[in-house]
Amino acid sequence: MIHFDNVTKVYANQNRPALDHVSVDVDKGEFVFLVGPSGSGKSTFLRLVLKEERPNSGSIHVAGKDLSKLSNFKVPHLRRRIGCVFQDFRLLPNKNVYENVAFALEVIGKPRRFIRKVVPEVIELVGLEGKAHRMPEELSGGEQQRVAMARAFVNRPMILLADEPTGNIDPATSIGIMKVLDRINRTGTTVLMATHDAAIVDSMRKRVVELEDGKIVRDQSRGVYGQAY
Amino acid sequence: MRANFIFSEVWIGLRRNLTMTIAVIVTVAVGMALLGVGLMINSQVSKLTGFWSDKVELSVYLCTKGSPFEPCKNRGAVTPEEKGTLEQTIKALPDVERVQFENQAQAFKNFQSTESNTLLLSVTKPEDMPESFRVKLKDPEKAAAVASSLKGQPGVSNVVNERDLLQSVFGFMDTLRNVALGIAILMVIAATLLIGNTVRLSAYNRRRETGIMRLVGASNIYIQLPFVLEGLIAGLIGGVLSGVILIIVKVFIFESIQTYMAAPLGWDTVAGVITGTMAVGVLICVLASFVTLRRYLRV
Ligand SMILES: Nc1ncnc2c1ncn2[C@@H]1O[C@H](COP(=O)(O)OP(=O)(O)OP(=O)(O)O)[C@@H](O)[C@H]1O
Ligand SMILES: [Mg+2]
Repeated sequence: MIHFDNVTKVYANQNRPALDHVSVDVDKGEFVFLVGPSGSGKSTFLRLVLKEERPNSGSIHVAGKDLSKLSNFKVPHLRRRIGCVFQDFRLLPNKNVYENVAFALEVIGKPRRFIRKVVPEVIELVGLEGKAHRMPEELSGGEQQRVAMARAFVNRPMILLADEPTGNIDPATSIGIMKVLDRINRTGTTVLMATHDAAIVDSMRKRVVELEDGKIVRDQSRGVYGQAY
Repeated sequence: MRANFIFSEVWIGLRRNLTMTIAVIVTVAVGMALLGVGLMINSQVSKLTGFWSDKVELSVYLCTKGSPFEPCKNRGAVTPEEKGTLEQTIKALPDVERVQFENQAQAFKNFQSTESNTLLLSVTKPEDMPESFRVKLKDPEKAAAVASSLKGQPGVSNVVNERDLLQSVFGFMDTLRNVALGIAILMVIAATLLIGNTVRLSAYNRRRETGIMRLVGASNIYIQLPFVLEGLIAGLIGGVLSGVILIIVKVFIFESIQTYMAAPLGWDTVAGVITGTMAVGVLICVLASFVTLRRYLRV
């Protein structure tokens, strides 16, 4: 599903690589934690999957496609098959829950009938039934993150990327978020989650890939967050 | 494509930057109106040139009684014999195509129809008007030579090269046109910069929306279309306003000077000019939006 082969990424005006000869394979339906200290390259890894950034060397395959051969014109189609959630939720403040989720389908030109059908389903899946008409400011952080997950998942992506989705949320609420991610993963969606949250990683017992200074220092199935932190 | 979705985005964008949008509209309207006026003057001049080029080129004025011109002093009005000889002389010149005689009555009529000074009109009598030969040349460039050869002839008060007179009118209109076009170019530059700025502001205001659109895989066209449409609509409104200004200019300025123009500017020309300037206005707006987007809306 995601295949990195000897990928190096050096940002402009930076002498240290953000990713340094990284090779990794993520299969379809896997749940992978990406851990490591701040600045170790986790977000960079996710941006490369989305083709928001280009590697300086090495090759990246996503869903069987070589990203270096994917024309700019086709990048939106790649992104339609990848859902994203972030630490800061990124909801539209002037739209309610339903509209925020529907927005993701509207802008890719889905028919209204389809939108009316699937949006309530996915709102229910993330556990927000009855709150479809709330505005983001009327929701707790955890609920806002559920909206973001609903939006990421509403188009049934093959891959879900989550960049510190529990970063702004207290531990108790985080468990609920992780349950939703797990539910999404069980539908067959590959989930890749960057996190600093040791408790979550330890409790989930999923595959853990650890980065340090842009290098992979550990790749462990059913792993834990690690002793050093 | 979800048309109503895009239009609601466009409407929000236009309203959010209302002052900038108005600035764009006004600049486009004034700039395109000046461009249109320039084009209208241009086609008026070429119409006049065409009209006058097969008319008189030399006017050979004859002495009247008490004419103040030097050659007529110490003598009376031109005699019929002198007129006859003169006509023969002119016709014999190799560069002359045809000659036409204008008597005092005709001259007075022309004078009445072109002179607007009422005091002058009231004191002028047909007897004050000079008779003249209207000479059409085969080659207009020979006018000066023919004029000087006729100047000394008995009974001739003065020879006027009508082209010289027209040339000064044309020169004035040329200047007017150049000024209008010059300002129009400045306005076009101003409009382009303003649109660039508006689109940049608009892109900044909507960076959340566009960021999410990129993330969920909206196509570039879908992301950029609202911005380009904003430019298009502003350009279109500006273009319509400039069309109104041009119609006003045609009715109140070109129509009122038509008496002197002999070759009036038709509505078909005005319609063509309006269409052309509107197209230019819209094109500039769309291109400016597009170019700015390339810079500020990374895809
Ligand atoms: N847009 C950018 N331009 C230049 N350098 C960048 C950019 N983004 C990240 N970097 C650098 O690349 C390195 C890796 O950054 P990255 O954001 O991938 O780390 P991270 O593991 O996600 O950190 P955190 O846990 O704090 O989110 C850092 O040294 C960072 O300074
Ligand atoms: Mg990060």
